[in-house]
Amino acid sequence: MTYSHAIAAARLARLLLFVTIGIALSASVAVAQTFTPRDESPEEFPAGAGRDETFYTCTACHGFKLVAAQGMNRRQWDDSINWMMEKHRMPPLEAKERDAVLNYLEAAFPPRAPAGGGGFQNPFMKR
Amino acid sequence: MPERIERSIEELYRDDPAKADAEVFGRETGPSRRGFLNGAGLAAMGAAVGGAIPFAANMPGGMIPAAMAQSSPAGMPPSASPAPASAAPKGPQYLKFPGKSDKLVVLGERPLVAETPENLLDDDTTPTDKLFVRNNGQTPEENKEPDKWKFVVDGEVNNKLELTLGELKAKYKPVTRRLVLECGGNGRSFFTPQARGNQWTNGGAGCSEWTGVRLADVLKAAGVKSSAVFSGHYGADPHLSGTGVTLSRGVPIKKLMDENNLIVWQLNGQPLPNIHGGPVRLMIPGWPGSVSAKWLNRIWIRDKIHDGPGMGATSYRVAIKPMVPGDKPDEKNFRDLESMPIRSIITSPANGTKLPAGTKEVKLRGAAWAGDLTVRQVDVSTDFGATWTSAKVEKPKNKYDWQRWTATVKLPSDGYFEIWTRGTDAKGTMQPHIAGNWNPQGYGGNPMHRVAVLVG
Repeated sequence: MTYSHAIAAARLARLLLFVTIGIALSASVAVAQTFTPRDESPEEFPAGAGRDETFYTCTACHGFKLVAAQGMNRRQWDDSINWMMEKHRMPPLEAKERDAVLNYLEAAFPPRAPAGGGGFQNPFMKR
Repeated sequence: MPERIERSIEELYRDDPAKADAEVFGRETGPSRRGFLNGAGLAAMGAAVGGAIPFAANMPGGMIPAAMAQSSPAGMPPSASPAPASAAPKGPQYLKFPGKSDKLVVLGERPLVAETPENLLDDDTTPTDKLFVRNNGQTPEENKEPDKWKFVVDGEVNNKLELTLGELKAKYKPVTRRLVLECGGNGRSFFTPQARGNQWTNGGAGCSEWTGVRLADVLKAAGVKSSAVFSGHYGADPHLSGTGVTLSRGVPIKKLMDENNLIVWQLNGQPLPNIHGGPVRLMIPGWPGSVSAKWLNRIWIRDKIHDGPGMGATSYRVAIKPMVPGDKPDEKNFRDLESMPIRSIITSPANGTKLPAGTKEVKLRGAAWAGDLTVRQVDVSTDFGATWTSAKVEKPKNKYDWQRWTATVKLPSDGYFEIWTRGTDAKGTMQPHIAGNWNPQGYGGNPMHRVAVLVG
């Protein structure tokens, strides 16, 4: 199975998940309390080499919004992948894939400049 | 880099439906890609439809699922469909979910995580629609027969208990308490450098009325043995990958036996909503919310420190010897985050409030809480902490309630002001100006809350 087909399959699997929930929703009021995540696509996130690989690697389990909310250097991203494998059931990546994913994460989501105010943003500043 | 000729599912099926089926549904993946398919795809689907998954096998051969058509505008071929309507949201993304306020800010949808902006915590008792949501796995389907919901208490006990919610209600005396529920990572966004995880401000907390039975009463019936050391709590939410336990944390027996812990089935007088862990969850107040297992199905009494997912390493743990912010952690230097730290928030006015020119005085409302402790004092400042005024702090309704506070501050002129608040707990520990004791996953971040107002 090729990588692109794997991506397509992953997409379909997720689509089916939503379809299934959609059917369940229409069939039963009670199920209406099951939360259906919005579908994400790689195009919503910063362009760059390895974006799609990274997107589908991470979104096998969790939303990419979570990834995009982080800002780390390469070593921290590398640690995070180890942590994901050790603690969160992430399957190991082949060396080349891991490199491609790290390249993207490092470029797209580097450490953010210290906010100074510790995350506080002046709500009146003209942007 | 692998060859990157990406083909849409539509193309796959158009070209060779049989092959597409084999590849998409056959699921005979190579070792390197198993996470995409076995782990996440099928199993996740299975969990979503309630376990068994004859689904894939029953799909008509070579047929594109009906939803593919639905995803394209009518009359347009699938390949011409535009980019998903769900483009990246600008600014905060707000929660859209029945029974929940549309002002909750979504931090993530898979898993579902949404926080409550501080100004939405202005009610004395947090209404259900404004209570934050922190799920770690998939959100299970709603249980249709709550009284038949079953959980077990086993391990180091004399009598293993298997109880339905119906039996729990019949056998034990219910109590109602107003209790703070707070995510262990609340305040994470205030760390510099950024700590890994959901970027909570102060909104991973709320204080609602919870009804249930005392966990201690149930544990008495089970007869906890002297060999008991720790607990391990389990819930029914499936792991995001579709298989296995999502999260299982626990507490030392001393904390477990605390009379304020409840097994709850009501939130603000109504059946506990599915999204909040209904029909049955634990409430172990004062400690990271992750010990208060949602969709509770097992309390395992252990003869050693629990080692479920979410225990150990740097998860829900803080550095013993302060570490260099951003450095690689030495896991031997970590201990569990137990009692949550002191936190005071301003719930009115909201950050970004504009006040009429000439406003000389502002009335403030807020809330403060401090894990296992009570709040001794709350102070407010309008001059970046140069001078402070004490707020009037109410007593808690019961232990582990938050404490509401009010204050009035004077403003010397028109212009830009920041109102700061800092709480002091019963032991005299005060909130710091910035999040200290940096740790990789950002626990214990409790710097002073500040809101900006513009006068004139």
